[in-house]
Amino acid sequence: MLEVKGICSGYGHVQIIWDASFVVNDGEVVAILGSNGAGKTTLVRTITGMIRPWSGSVVFNGDELAGKNSRNILDHGIVQVPEGRQLFTEMSVYENLEMGAYSKETKAKLGESLEFVYKWFPKLRERKNQAAGTLSGGEQQMVAVGRALIGLPRLLILDEPSLGLAPNIVDDILSVAHSMAKEQGISVILVEQDITKALRVADRGYVVENGKITLEGTSEELESNEHVKKAYLGI
Amino acid sequence: MEIFLQACVNGLLIGGFYSLMGMGQNIIFGVMKIINFCHGEMLMIGMYLTFVFNTYLGLDPYLSIPLVVIVMFALGALIQHTLITPSLGTKSFTNLLFLTVGLGMLFQNLALVIFSPNYRTITTSYSTKTLSLGPVTMSLPKMISFIGLIIVTVALFWFLRYTPTGKKIRAVSQNPIGAEVVGINAKRIYIITYGLGCALAGIAGALLTLFYMVYPMVGASFSFKALIVVVVGGFGSIQGAFFAGIFLGLLETLSSLIVGPTYRDLTVFVTFIVILVVRQMIKLRRR
Repeated sequence: MLEVKGICSGYGHVQIIWDASFVVNDGEVVAILGSNGAGKTTLVRTITGMIRPWSGSVVFNGDELAGKNSRNILDHGIVQVPEGRQLFTEMSVYENLEMGAYSKETKAKLGESLEFVYKWFPKLRERKNQAAGTLSGGEQQMVAVGRALIGLPRLLILDEPSLGLAPNIVDDILSVAHSMAKEQGISVILVEQDITKALRVADRGYVVENGKITLEGTSEELESNEHVKKAYLGI
Repeated sequence: MEIFLQACVNGLLIGGFYSLMGMGQNIIFGVMKIINFCHGEMLMIGMYLTFVFNTYLGLDPYLSIPLVVIVMFALGALIQHTLITPSLGTKSFTNLLFLTVGLGMLFQNLALVIFSPNYRTITTSYSTKTLSLGPVTMSLPKMISFIGLIIVTVALFWFLRYTPTGKKIRAVSQNPIGAEVVGINAKRIYIITYGLGCALAGIAGALLTLFYMVYPMVGASFSFKALIVVVVGGFGSIQGAFFAGIFLGLLETLSSLIVGPTYRDLTVFVTFIVILVVRQMIKLRRR
C-alpha cells in the first residue's frame, strides 16, 4: 500500500505540487486526473524519485521513500510507464523489454516475464527484432508497458497512456492495467487527462488542479460530481 | 594500378585512426551531448605513454597497449568524475567548451614541460621490416596497427551491442529519461563512457607511435579530423563515425595521389562541404 502525505515539490525554485496526499491500496486502480499542466507528471516524478520532494512523506509497504533516488524506488517495486513512453527508439523491441530488468531478481526471471508480456501483447513477440522507433504509437505504448512489467512491479504507474493513441488501443492498454490489478494484485496508478476512460477502469480517483488535490472519491462519486461534470466531462 | 592499391591500403590505415577517434568522440557526444575538444590530446598522451613505456621500461609499443588502456581509462574516469559531471549540471554549452578546450591546452603544455617540444620516435627491431601482399607493400608496424585497428573496432561494436554496460551506454544515449526510468545510474555510465572514449584515443595513440612522430601538438590535427568525422558521420552515430573516418582516410590518400598533395586538403574539404549540403537538401525534400 502506498501512502503519500503532504508532498510539496517542483523544479528549481518553482513549486508545482502543493501539499498532495493520497492513498493506493493493494490491488486497487487509482486514477489521478487533471488537465494539461495540472502537475500530474511532476507528482509521478516525485513519487518515483526522479525529482526530490521538498517536504512530505511517501510510504510504500511500510518503507519511507521520500528523498530516495529512482533506482532505490525501483528496488521497492514501484515501476512507471513514463509520459511519452521514453523508449530506446533505435533498439529492438526485445532489447527495450530486456532493459526493464534492472535488478538481479528481475534479470533471473527475465524469461518468465517475457512470456508474460508476450501473452498480453502477442504483437510484441512478432515484432521483437524490430527497432522500437519503427512501431506504431499503440505498439510503442505496449513496449513501454511491457518494459515496466519486466521490472516485476508491485505498484505500476501509468502516466498518460492514452496520449496520442487511437481510442480502441487506449481501451486495450487500460484493460490490461485493470487486469494487472485484479488478477495479479498489482496496485495501479493511472494518470490521465481522459477522465471518462480512466474512471471506467479505476476504483477511485483524485483530481489535481494547479498542483493541489482538490477532489477525491470513488469512480461513481467523481463521475456524478457537478464540478467534474462541468470542468472535465463537458456536460 | 599498383600505386592506386597502395594508396587505398594507406588510406584505410589512416582512416582507421580517424574512425577510432571519431567513434570515441561520438560515444561521448551521444551520452552527454558534449564535444570533447581535448580528444586529440588524449591520443597525444597515449603516444607519450607508449613512448615512456618503451624508452624507460623497454616495453614493446604493441604490448604496452593494455597498460595504456588502463591509464587512459583511469585518467578519463577521473576527469569525468571531478570536472565534467559537475559541469554538466550547469547545462551551459560554453562552460563545457571551455572546460574541454582548456584541458587540451593544459595537457599540451604539460607535455611541453615534461618532454620538451622535440620530436620523438620509437624504433624496434621490426621497425623497418616490410611485408608484401601481392602488389601492396606495407611496413610491418603499419600492418600490425592495421590489424589492431580492426580488432579494436570489432571489439567496440561487440561491446556496445551485446554487453549489459554497452546496452546501458546506448540506452542513456538514446533516451536519458527512459534510462532513468529503468534504473540506470547515469553518472556511472558517464564515467565509463568518458573513460572508454579516452582509452580508445589512447589505443589509437599507441598504434600510431611506431610510424608517427611524437610531439606535444600531435593531437591537434587528429582532434580536428575527429571533429570532421563526427560532423559528417552524424552526431552521436557510432556507425556513421566509423564509415566517415574510413572515407576521410581514403579521400586524403587518393586525392593526394590524383590531384597532388598541394590540393589534398582542398579536395577533402570541398567534398565534405558538398556532402553536408547535399544531405541537408535531401533532408529538406523529405519533409
